[in-house]
Amino acid sequence: MIGQLLAGNLTHGLVLGAVYGVATMGLSLIFGVLRVVNVGHGPFIMVGAFVTLAMVTALGVAPPAAIPAALLIGIALGFVFFYTIMRRLIRAPELASLLATFAMGILLEEIIRHSFGAEFRGYTWDVGKIVLPWTVMPMSKVFAFAGSVLVAIGLYLWFNRTRMGTAIRTVVEDSEGARVCGVNVGWSYAVSFAIGIGITVMSGVFLTMFIPVGINPYMGGAYTLKAFVIAVLGGLTSPYGAFFAGLIFGLIENGSYVLFALIPGVEPFALTRFLTFVILLIILLIRPTGLLGAKK
Amino acid sequence: MRLKIEKYYPLLPVYAAYLVMFLIGRTMPGMWQMVALLAFYCAIGQAFNIFLGMTGYVDFGYVAFLAMGTYGMALGITAFHQTGLGIGIMFIGLLLGVVMAALLSLAVGAVALRLRGAYFAIATIGVNEGFRYFVEGARIWGGSEGIIFYGDMTEAFGAETTRLLSTVWADVAVFIIAAMAAFVTIHYMRGKIGYALTALREDEDAAKVMGINVTKYKIIAFITSASFAGMIGAMAWALKLTYVFPPDVFEIHYTIECIIIVLLGGAGTLLGPIVGALIYGLSKYWLAVIAPGFQLLIFAPIIIVIVVAFPEGIMGLVKRRAKGTGWERYII
Repeated sequence: MIGQLLAGNLTHGLVLGAVYGVATMGLSLIFGVLRVVNVGHGPFIMVGAFVTLAMVTALGVAPPAAIPAALLIGIALGFVFFYTIMRRLIRAPELASLLATFAMGILLEEIIRHSFGAEFRGYTWDVGKIVLPWTVMPMSKVFAFAGSVLVAIGLYLWFNRTRMGTAIRTVVEDSEGARVCGVNVGWSYAVSFAIGIGITVMSGVFLTMFIPVGINPYMGGAYTLKAFVIAVLGGLTSPYGAFFAGLIFGLIENGSYVLFALIPGVEPFALTRFLTFVILLIILLIRPTGLLGAKK
Repeated sequence: MRLKIEKYYPLLPVYAAYLVMFLIGRTMPGMWQMVALLAFYCAIGQAFNIFLGMTGYVDFGYVAFLAMGTYGMALGITAFHQTGLGIGIMFIGLLLGVVMAALLSLAVGAVALRLRGAYFAIATIGVNEGFRYFVEGARIWGGSEGIIFYGDMTEAFGAETTRLLSTVWADVAVFIIAAMAAFVTIHYMRGKIGYALTALREDEDAAKVMGINVTKYKIIAFITSASFAGMIGAMAWALKLTYVFPPDVFEIHYTIECIIIVLLGGAGTLLGPIVGALIYGLSKYWLAVIAPGFQLLIFAPIIIVIVVAFPEGIMGLVKRRAKGTGWERYII
């Protein structure tokens, strides 16, 4: 039944999409505030995946226990990278910031490879499943979905309801003006970068619940590319735009797979990837503010 | 009209460097492979520099043009190998590769060059990846299996010629392409295009207001740069490897290597890409010998330090030092 297959895939797409959304929010936050595209975004997700693996295999805890650890490690990494590297690149030409962030990603990949090895590794976390009329959903994915939604709400509240969040929003609007009004612009940059990296590393914990083949140090590259598409879809500068764009992306990716599989003689998986990049280009050309954030 | 030969003086150190490299490769046993690798880096550095160095636009999907060249050669050889045209087939393949690269750059340029900065970089990554998945997904040009054309090559050229082509003549061609790219670079730099693009790089809006047709010059630089990439793909990848495999030819790391070479040597300078290519190529080769498996771990922090500490690159520094001395006319 194609209808049931499509419904099942769309359900899984929505659940995965929420995780994609959270995995992209950091990219959008950092671009929005610092105007730097983090081309080494995916490797930070990979770090989160390895934090989970290390905690599950070494300490024997359940994967959700890795969430606070991943967040803290991510924030610490963010501050370290900000004060050593990013601080000097905020007004540098794209060439410099793109190359530096890519090199940061390579550095993380190589450190992880030399400490964990390059082969695929994984763990199992079986906590039952929910049987829906059209599909079966493992509880671990339901958990990842719920966690992602909570993280998105949390970031929204932090961004809109706290002093620090307000300060950062003023920096996004007009960094000179914010400085004149007494906002510590440098600190805002540092906090945004650290929080952005923190959320990204944390999203790696959720993503490991979706990867049946396991994780390896070079898994990040694919997520960098997906995150670009999602971020552009969400307007590139808006973290919660990125979250909703993640949901849309998950639906498109999983839904189109079912439809492409109907065409004989093609590779449906590659075509879903092709479709996402077509969407990327169309959005960039006709609506660079994104599907959702179109205020200006 | 008097030919202004002085404007080509800076080519002298470039060609001297190529000649020395070529002679080392031909006379010292066992050196040809390394020299060929260095020539490849010099060539892609110079080709990439024509666009990136002159405009300041970062094309993150540059490797797609090399891929077009590789596919062009592969398709040319597989389509014409039974026609008995001999070595002419290679020129058909080369032409096909260049035309495909130029057409892709025209298409990308027409749409993506309206975007600036980070948006342009992301769009070009999108084109590179999108094209790769289109080839794989729609199963054109051999799909994800790629094209293996060693058999067709031996049928078209004969076994001995094929061996010579892929071990010697492909590399010689890369030298010639690198020399041509250097000539075009200086020709552009010292001509109207160079001045227009300098204005654009400094302030695109101001340049536009001053009446410079920025789009036209951007596209000229883009197509030139892409066409050279197509030639390099056709000769250095297709003829040397005798196969095309989509995940290899669209691999983003080659774009990164181009960026490293140009940035290391100095973006927008003539000698920069060569200096960058030599340093990058030699250190990569050397690290592979003394610390196999650790090259990237060592490279990544070095790249970061260079980006942060020397954003003008080595030739940027040298150029400033040479100002006002007799060397000035040879170094740009």
